[in-house]
Amino acid sequence: MINYMKSEHYRLLRKKGLYITSMICLLLIVAAVVVLYFSQQQEPNFPYATSMFLYSSVIGNTLLIMIVALLFNSTLTGKDTSLIKQSVSFGFSRNTVFWSKLILTLGYFLLLCVTGLLLTITLGETLMASKEHSVSNFLIAGSNMVPIVLSGFILIHVMKMLNVSEVYIIILFLFIYIFSGDLLYMLFDYTPSTLLNENLTSFMNQSAHFDYRLWVTGIVISVISLLIGTKRFAKQNIN
Amino acid sequence: MDIIIQTYQLKKTFKKEVVIKPLDFSLRKGEICALIGKNGAGKSTIFKMLSGQLFPTAGDIQLFGKSGKETAQAKKRMGFMIEAPEFFPDFTAAQNLEYFRIQRGIAEKERIYEVLQIVDLAKQKKKRFRDYSMGMKQRLGIALCLLSSPDCLVLDEPINGLDAEGIMEIRKLLLKLNEEKQISILVSSHILTELQLLATRFVFIKNGVIVDDLSKKTLDDKSKKQIRLKVDDAAKAARLLEQAYPDIQYKILPNHIITIQNYVEESGEINRLLIDSGVLVMEFRIEALNLEEYFLGLVEGVEK
Repeated sequence: MINYMKSEHYRLLRKKGLYITSMICLLLIVAAVVVLYFSQQQEPNFPYATSMFLYSSVIGNTLLIMIVALLFNSTLTGKDTSLIKQSVSFGFSRNTVFWSKLILTLGYFLLLCVTGLLLTITLGETLMASKEHSVSNFLIAGSNMVPIVLSGFILIHVMKMLNVSEVYIIILFLFIYIFSGDLLYMLFDYTPSTLLNENLTSFMNQSAHFDYRLWVTGIVISVISLLIGTKRFAKQNIN
Repeated sequence: MDIIIQTYQLKKTFKKEVVIKPLDFSLRKGEICALIGKNGAGKSTIFKMLSGQLFPTAGDIQLFGKSGKETAQAKKRMGFMIEAPEFFPDFTAAQNLEYFRIQRGIAEKERIYEVLQIVDLAKQKKKRFRDYSMGMKQRLGIALCLLSSPDCLVLDEPINGLDAEGIMEIRKLLLKLNEEKQISILVSSHILTELQLLATRFVFIKNGVIVDDLSKKTLDDKSKKQIRLKVDDAAKAARLLEQAYPDIQYKILPNHIITIQNYVEESGEINRLLIDSGVLVMEFRIEALNLEEYFLGLVEGVEK
């Protein structure tokens, strides 16, 4: 498995997609801050040039982060799955392939998330008007998002490895992370969209706190995805 | 003799269609075995089951005497190239092989350049895979097979897309690997004349069943002269031949063509018999059979 991961690492470092996707994400953060900053320069009463607004844009846009996760996974795994046959015919198990690809792409995705987070905080605190505890509130609310974002990334990886078409991935995604709250509110309130909305509300009220329910939901989605994914991929024919 | 590949009642079904019927096959050390069959006969399915790309529906595969999960270790002694070779399109040949060198834990980096040299791609090592011609892609696929210095090669259509010179080079290379390093080879190709120059054993497959398994010597024996004739009424001619020569061996091919494997010395009498009996003989010649004709006779002909 170590050798497989080393080779995947060699591949990922040479993929233009890794650098392009990362650069676009980071540039979008910078662009958002610059627009807010210059809007305030032009109009002194502009109310949105605050770190709170910037941070709330991150906390309230989990879907956007999920889209980045989808793009990231597509760019890094994408068509390269056709090469799995060469590895399988050399004796690598499907499990090794599945986990190695997941660990590495997830590692790079988390690195990008941390970089984006640090960039947001740095720019927010230096160029925007900031309130006391806004960073700590942001970090708490942001940490609550982590399990949901991770579950999304894992779900994407599983579906990509099982050769599910992107249309179905997007439909399933929209259902689980956007519409499930409205559709299933009668049954339970542990749906990702409901919990993320509550997380945003807490953050806006400056009362962000650790919410175990997001972790429970994220872990449940991740574990179910991984169980189905590993089981099905282990039996999957590779053509 | 050591057995490299052995299958026991290997079977594959897709949905409800049986693609490979329970099949026993073995490849012995030092053999170059050609798997011959029409499109859809099941050659690639067998190769894919050997490589682990497809799971057999039933039966067992032994590689170097290992079966089950132990085949993973045995596969490290094998090189597979099944259908079109797949590589990262934006990587150069050297980068693609480097990826697999790391993956396979091969310590010597120079091995990449050795195998590129073997397949005559050393000069194009910095060219991106997507810019390679079909023949170059095939050669890079063979280079990958050789990367881990295997004891056995399984090659599905390795000369597909190569020009005449390239085909000859690959043939020489495979023969050299077989002779010098005793590498066993299981190969398929649609260019049967090429297989005849390469293989030491010929396995014919039709609809997922092995219909014939010949050594080169047996094929050569069978390739001895035969009478080939084209008549206006093949059924009538066959009846006449059977009456005159009860132990005659013949096949009826499409277009009223009959081939007779024995009684070649009596060709004059056979010709006269048919003409005198009112059969119009439009073509009559004595020919040596090649692999292609033997194959066609086997899969298309109606054997007596």
